[in-house]
Amino acid sequence: MNKKTPYILIMPIVLLGVLFIYGLVNGIIQSFGYIPAFDLRDFTLDYYVKVIKSPTFLDSLKLTLQISLISSILSAVLGTILTAALVYTGHTEGKALQIIKLAILIPHTIVALFSISILSQNGLLARLFYKLGLIDAQTDFPLLLYTKNNIGIILGYLWKEVPFVAYFSLSLMASINKTLGEAAENLGASRLKSFFYITLPLSMPAIGKAFLIILTFSFGAYDLPFLLGATVPKALPVQAHIEYIHPDLRHRPYAMAMNGLILLITWIMAGIYYLVTNSKKIKGDNHERS
Amino acid sequence: MKDLSSNRLLKIFLYLALFAILAPMVIIIFWAFANQWPWPNLLPTSYSLRGVKEIFAPYGKVFPILTSSITLSLTVALLSAIIAIMTARAIVFYDFWGKGILDFISMAPNLVPSTVFAMGIHVVFIKMSLANTPLGVIIVHLIYTLPYTINIMRNLTESIGKDMEQQAYVLGASPWKSFLYISFPLLLPGIIASITMAYILSFSQYFVTLLIGGGKVMTFSMIMVPFIAKGDRTLGSAYALVFVISTLLVFTIINTIMKRFQKRKEKYNWN
Amino acid sequence: MKKKTLLILLILIAVLATGCSKNNTTNPNEKLVEFDPNAGFDTLLEQAKGTTVTFYGWGGDENRNRFLNESLAPKLKEKYDITLEVVGMDIDNILAKLAGEKQAGLEEGSIDMIWINGENFYSAKENDLLFGPFTDKLPNFEKYIDTEDEEVLNDFGFPIEGYEAPYGKAQLVFLKDSAVTPETPRNTQEFLDFCKKYEGKVTYAALPDFTGSAFVRTLIYDIVGHEQFLTMEADKEVVREAIEPALEYLRELNKYLWNQGKTFPATNGEVDNMFQDGELVMAMSYGPYAAAVGIEKGIYNDTVKTFVFDNGTVGNTNYIAIAKNSPNKAGAMVVINEIISAETQAEQFEALKTLPVVAYDKLSDEEKARFDKVDIGQGVLPQDQLLSKRLPEMPANLVPIIEEIWLEEVVGK
Repeated sequence: MNKKTPYILIMPIVLLGVLFIYGLVNGIIQSFGYIPAFDLRDFTLDYYVKVIKSPTFLDSLKLTLQISLISSILSAVLGTILTAALVYTGHTEGKALQIIKLAILIPHTIVALFSISILSQNGLLARLFYKLGLIDAQTDFPLLLYTKNNIGIILGYLWKEVPFVAYFSLSLMASINKTLGEAAENLGASRLKSFFYITLPLSMPAIGKAFLIILTFSFGAYDLPFLLGATVPKALPVQAHIEYIHPDLRHRPYAMAMNGLILLITWIMAGIYYLVTNSKKIKGDNHERS
Repeated sequence: MKDLSSNRLLKIFLYLALFAILAPMVIIIFWAFANQWPWPNLLPTSYSLRGVKEIFAPYGKVFPILTSSITLSLTVALLSAIIAIMTARAIVFYDFWGKGILDFISMAPNLVPSTVFAMGIHVVFIKMSLANTPLGVIIVHLIYTLPYTINIMRNLTESIGKDMEQQAYVLGASPWKSFLYISFPLLLPGIIASITMAYILSFSQYFVTLLIGGGKVMTFSMIMVPFIAKGDRTLGSAYALVFVISTLLVFTIINTIMKRFQKRKEKYNWN
Repeated sequence: MKKKTLLILLILIAVLATGCSKNNTTNPNEKLVEFDPNAGFDTLLEQAKGTTVTFYGWGGDENRNRFLNESLAPKLKEKYDITLEVVGMDIDNILAKLAGEKQAGLEEGSIDMIWINGENFYSAKENDLLFGPFTDKLPNFEKYIDTEDEEVLNDFGFPIEGYEAPYGKAQLVFLKDSAVTPETPRNTQEFLDFCKKYEGKVTYAALPDFTGSAFVRTLIYDIVGHEQFLTMEADKEVVREAIEPALEYLRELNKYLWNQGKTFPATNGEVDNMFQDGELVMAMSYGPYAAAVGIEKGIYNDTVKTFVFDNGTVGNTNYIAIAKNSPNKAGAMVVINEIISAETQAEQFEALKTLPVVAYDKLSDEEKARFDKVDIGQGVLPQDQLLSKRLPEMPANLVPIIEEIWLEEVVGK
């Protein structure tokens, strides 16, 4: 077809992309201490160095990685099962899907409200246990929120992200199952086999992307860790947020440097993701060729 | 045999998941009308209409803001879906200069902490006179929603392929017509998914809307979040309830329209 | 053909979307030609006529939102033909917005009035984001405000120099349910005993929460006195040394706090919710009449009572400033002048239960009577008692240092 066609098609995204990069660069230079509005004009790496050297940085980093990795892996696995459940039980539209959308819709701050209402030592679970005579006082209920085990935060993310993974990969898996999976079954493959050998691998691009999205999101979001996390150590995004609301405006580069580090780590994670998926693709191609 | 039992397991899993999603929703319904809910009661001990009154109080302009907020998010969702269809087609079907970069760019907004981008784009938008305008807010929302919609459309476009459309083209239909009558109906589930996803993301966006909209462009999140942040459970839940119900209504409407669209298309195809 | 309908649909939507907020995007203040703060108040009144003034501030208090929109706004419209637009936004985002506008070199910004105080005022003024001095040009400032009052001259120890006008007074108070806890701790020693008796049922919000931070400062004042801080150098080591006995006390206190002080709720809102649910036996608020407001709403039991330490609690004033790039400074000055009038302050006292900023002895008998007849509600301390137990805030730049030390040396220690 026409040679110009692709360029016409990508025009809007290119325009938006340019705006995005322009904005991003404008934001990033603040982390190097360049904010003329506050009389900060020197380009320096000092803010990064100070952030990294702070005694709490490593703890924070570890905590953040832990939360985002555990919650994302669990979400991806459970989300894939949920997608399969929706596809194979014929619930690709209708009420079940509406309920799933509901979870994606609810903002994280409300999820925090849920977590506190259900999981805290004062929550509905603790109350139920108390009524059943399983515990004698609030303090007997295991502490799930505000502690270093971060169970509350991870459960909160699972509640949001499992449905997200399902919703994000549903249309792809449904269409693959319809075209190829069912064909395989007609040819005599068992459903389990056709799922693991055909439908799942072909759905992987969507599932993988969904995983990457929630991984990077949970690495950079502060709502849940701020409201449900321990006072120390704090997750990196929480620390960045606290620096951001620091009343001294000339403190802003610290917040931006912290965000710059989050950005850097996020991009490393994305890079690893692309390396892994691409090497698979290449292997796959070779396989086909041979 | 095996298939049956695995199917049953999947069904159980599905129902458990749906229950886990719905159960906490009951809490905001209770809290929207509750005043006191002390330990160790499983149900609130006193109720009030404080939340309801606040929502319907004329000075709060809750419903005008809700309407304009829905309009804004719908605009974002539609535009996002259209751009996503275009981009997905370009990436899947064509080779062009800078494809790899584009591929990355379309994903990048997900990989950037919103503070960095929002603060940067704010200054840019002020210079372009886009700050404090609905258009400015629509543009940043588009940037945030496109990674999701492009991905949905791209996967689907790939899996559907181009063969049928090309056949129609070869048989003499215009490119636009062959897209509209062949690929479009097949893409429809993805389009609905894109619109839904983009709508959700746009409607719940808080920080960038606040900074770019500058309080001049009001969205529902902006009146809801302060109460949740403050920890006012009654008002926070009442607003959250309106948030959820209005969105479900919008989804129902989108679904109905799209279904009708689909049916009409099918009729055309028969002729 | 289909393309066209789609296009039309899109345009329609875009028009609709812009239409919904059309009245906001057009500049309503075009007729404002030249602004001269020294032109005299009558000229300002004339210039302000028919304009819109935007008021940016925290939006999480429904009583205040209601008061501003239902009481103040109609009055301004009627008296001065000014439209007041109240926008709920946290102060950090307001400052981010002003900073962005400054960076982009925007002469005419979008914010007129800002609800502000303390460190934020300090930082905004330092970075040249505010307009002023303006308070000396307001007739009601001279008429109703005690211009020699410490809190009119300084905000968190930082000279105001006419860059903000007082709006309301806040003071930290403690709340308890007298049906649950009969005793009332009057100082830090009694407070420690109180925490021992109700082990695990007392806590405060993690710093830098606004209220949690004020609470820690109040404890510090009670232990090491407050005078030394007013002139203290903003140096971490100096501050650490000065508050060492208080840090000792806070670590001792941890043992008896909720979760043994290993962790603290992130916000005072959460502390308040835990108090409402009976998980805690004590709450605290920067709103001196929080008990009355809570009882009226029905979220507190009628038996909830306010108390403060014998040595007092920290109190501060919150203010209204005008943005340097405000497009309608004349209008903003007229509105602020109205807000500091005896009439509006009395209405605000009645509706919001914030301490008024007008000087009582400058009021006429009639005006005094208006204040006196306000029923402030149940469970609270009378105004004169509160004010007699009011301690000044520390200089703004000491506050973040204390917050930092608290994180390093108190949490979980």
